[in-house]
Amino acid sequence: MKLDPLSIPVRAGESVVRLAWVLVFALVGSPALGGVSGIGVAVVGWFVIALAYQLVYYQRFEYDLSGDTLDIVSGVVSRRNREIPIGRVQNVDISRNVVQRALGIAQINLETAGGSSTEASLRYVSFEEAKRLQSELGRLKRGAASTGTADPGPERELFAVTRKELVLLGLIGIDLRLLSFVTVLLPVISPSLRERFADPLVGLAVTAPLAAVAVVGIAALISGAIALTSYYGFRLARQNDELLYERGLLQRFSGTIPLEKVQTLTISENFLARRLGYASLAVETAGYAPNDEGSQSAIPLAERGRVVDLARSIESFDGIEFERPPRRARERYAVRYAVVAALAVGIAFAADRYTGLTFAWYVALALVPLALVGAHLKWLHLGYDVQQDYVVLREGFWTRTTTVVPYYRVQTVLDSQSVFQRRRGLASLVVDTAGSSGLTSRQPRALDIDAGRAADLRETVADRLQTAVQRRRSERRRERLRSIEAELGDAPVDPA
Amino acid sequence: MDDTDGDRAGSNPFGGETTPAIRRIEDASAPDATVPDAETTVPDVESLTGDPQTLEPTIRSVWMIQSAISAAVLGVIAAVVFSVVSPGGPWVGAVVFAGAAALGIVFSLLKYRIWMYQVRDDSLYLKRGVLTRVNTVAPYVRIQHVDTRRGPIERAFGLATTVVYTAGSRGADVSIPGLTPERADDLQTRLKHLAIAAEGEDAV
Repeated sequence: MKLDPLSIPVRAGESVVRLAWVLVFALVGSPALGGVSGIGVAVVGWFVIALAYQLVYYQRFEYDLSGDTLDIVSGVVSRRNREIPIGRVQNVDISRNVVQRALGIAQINLETAGGSSTEASLRYVSFEEAKRLQSELGRLKRGAASTGTADPGPERELFAVTRKELVLLGLIGIDLRLLSFVTVLLPVISPSLRERFADPLVGLAVTAPLAAVAVVGIAALISGAIALTSYYGFRLARQNDELLYERGLLQRFSGTIPLEKVQTLTISENFLARRLGYASLAVETAGYAPNDEGSQSAIPLAERGRVVDLARSIESFDGIEFERPPRRARERYAVRYAVVAALAVGIAFAADRYTGLTFAWYVALALVPLALVGAHLKWLHLGYDVQQDYVVLREGFWTRTTTVVPYYRVQTVLDSQSVFQRRRGLASLVVDTAGSSGLTSRQPRALDIDAGRAADLRETVADRLQTAVQRRRSERRRERLRSIEAELGDAPVDPA
Repeated sequence: MDDTDGDRAGSNPFGGETTPAIRRIEDASAPDATVPDAETTVPDVESLTGDPQTLEPTIRSVWMIQSAISAAVLGVIAAVVFSVVSPGGPWVGAVVFAGAAALGIVFSLLKYRIWMYQVRDDSLYLKRGVLTRVNTVAPYVRIQHVDTRRGPIERAFGLATTVVYTAGSRGADVSIPGLTPERADDLQTRLKHLAIAAEGEDAV
């Protein structure tokens, strides 16, 4: 099979757009190049060259989905033959931006567990072909698993985002990275405001609250716009053993998440969402590259109860009853935060005393009670629950994340004790999975639990992994026997 | 076409490889067939496991040399910096080097005393760390592959490191340094056999 012929001009056009910033520099940097007409010639010339290259690329790109593998032969200069076993495909995602939607083409991405980036990407095929590939891959995967019939089952809608949730998502999801961006932008704007006031102090008094409001306002607007465009029309459905999602206003994404391959579930609620009783759910598979955010989000935002229900329909964990770390963990945080607060007070005092700046340094003393409150809050939101088939771990005050880890998905278990933890007889238990968010700092862990308990839990989790693996194996064996029986019909299969 | 597979019969290049694989799974589906099969291909699990093991004592020297090298780098940096900055002179570098090297020696000794690994029935257990003590359990079902690695300093002291990879994000963390090449090879084969015996079908 070949790509869609429209992909030739689209890909050529993309390379021109990528060149655009170079051209902008050229235009600004040296007007001697011939100005606008020179640039025009360069653009057209590049487009023609790119068109020729893409034509060859198109002619030499072929894919074939047959049997157990997806075969891709590609490459203009160096040729590449790939065979991707269908049973190993983790996620299949389709994305279309505005231009691609107008032309009726789509990009399809396949993720496998190996490697750090997307395994295969078909740019571009017609939208119908992308849909066909997606459902065909799903069908073949089910066939490969040899469970039940290979017909696509009914599609059951699990979640659709409402307008209210979308607006809330924009408000709650104010991205802190945006805040920092806006604060960088502000000093550029604020001097012009300050000039209006003769007295700099009055100016500051006026501009500071204004600036704060502006920062929050702009950040909310931007994040609201991002949330609106990326989660507009979000829909999650279940078909057989796969989750299907769709989202996006300008760029449409749709994809599949195989439940077979789910590693962990993460329910996260930030401070604001918790107040309002909302939460979001992320499903981790081993396919995505780390920090590939959004694509694995199963529910962007919904009422907490619904989120938990949906999480439970994916992994049937029991009602969670968290056990908190011992109280001496809280003492540890209190000491830690108090030391930081004391340092801040010391720095403020020193700055007041030894530099020209004089200010009410003792205001910094307010940090000390804050440190104690912070320690309590941190302790309050920690928790772990060891269930029959799952271990549930919770952490975080600003953004509280609750991670559900099936024992079957555990890769390694470890408990670690720093010097300070040893002094108080505490330890942290880390449960490592192949989930994609593992490479970032948030590993599923039970922070500062009793050292003896941590050692017990380490062995418990490892033992339960063994039981889970054995149970899986015997289930598969039974399934295989059943399928053999079904194939042979009346012929007796002697198990003994 | 393919010379390496010359003695393999069959017109289909995959024929020779895929057929036995499929057959073995079908054999495994019959409950009675698995037990003798596992027994014949893999040595008894009991014989592979053992008591807690310590590293070779020479690893202390390797660690000391490694820390001495980093101490030397630190010392040179300090010497260069303090030859420019007014209080102190290049001699600060020597002090920094001595301090860091002494610390490195103490740490190497402690590290050796704490390091321990055990090949258990269904998992590999490691205990290590001076400041932060870490106990790791790596189940055999989750092993992807096992490597043996020898760095230049290790080679000079006749030592090797065995690295166990899992699909987890901390995979490469499970490495056991300070083994003689024979011990490393032995451990690698043991782990291989144990991983086969554990037969992880779906590691991810």
